Amino acid sequence: MAQDCDKPEKSPGESDAAALGVAGRRGVLMLGAVAATSVVTIRPALASTAASVLNCKIPIPDPAHAGQYITQDGRLVAAGTKDAVAPPPRPITGDEAKKMINGQSPAGFDPSSREAYVNYIRRLQHGTSGFTCYASLQVPRP
Amino acid sequence: MRAPAIVYAADPPAARIAVALDALVAVYHRPSGVTHLLAAPSPELLDALADGPADAATLRDRLAARYDLEGDADDRITATIDARMEEMIVAGLAWTT
Repeated sequence: MAQDCDKPEKSPGESDAAALGVAGRRGVLMLGAVAATSVVTIRPALASTAASVLNCKIPIPDPAHAGQYITQDGRLVAAGTKDAVAPPPRPITGDEAKKMINGQSPAGFDPSSREAYVNYIRRLQHGTSGFTCYASLQVPRP
Repeated sequence: MRAPAIVYAADPPAARIAVALDALVAVYHRPSGVTHLLAAPSPELLDALADGPADAATLRDRLAARYDLEGDADDRITATIDARMEEMIVAGLAWTT
């Protein structure tokens, strides 16, 4: 009994934040069966309507940085910077952003600027104009 | 005889906020702004990828270093890990290299 190798290494009261609380106290990890699903994605309400994705807009750059150019890797730089591209003439819709991400070049945008725009969109962070629109594009749809 | 192992990768832990909810872990993925509910061993697999991209056998070894693995025979464990990683790829939490 006492020599059991699965004796707890830590007292039950001691928390083990590194284990995220899912594995048992003794660090036993249940792997489960191959067929047991273990991921459920919570879809943002915005993504539940196709229309929101088609019509939402991603301003490039966001209004606070209007007029700045975009480098090929998607960063914002001063207007006229060498090798950076001018912002698109109008905000990109969700549908257009999706096409650009998929390698297409929707009408009205300079095809040679596509990569810079796509990289800008990929860098969007929470709180930046257009982020929710981009995030809703990322949600897998049935 | 074995097919080439798939190598998986995930964003670093700083790209996620994980909250334990009894048997599940809610994971908010910052880059996509999407929240997922994960059951064991998926959160542990994500954490194990913090040490760098890895195939199922390497992930099994990393998990075994931290936990007593409770499951089937060795080849079944890697098959289970592959299945869990495939789900996380579909969810956008991981990818193959």
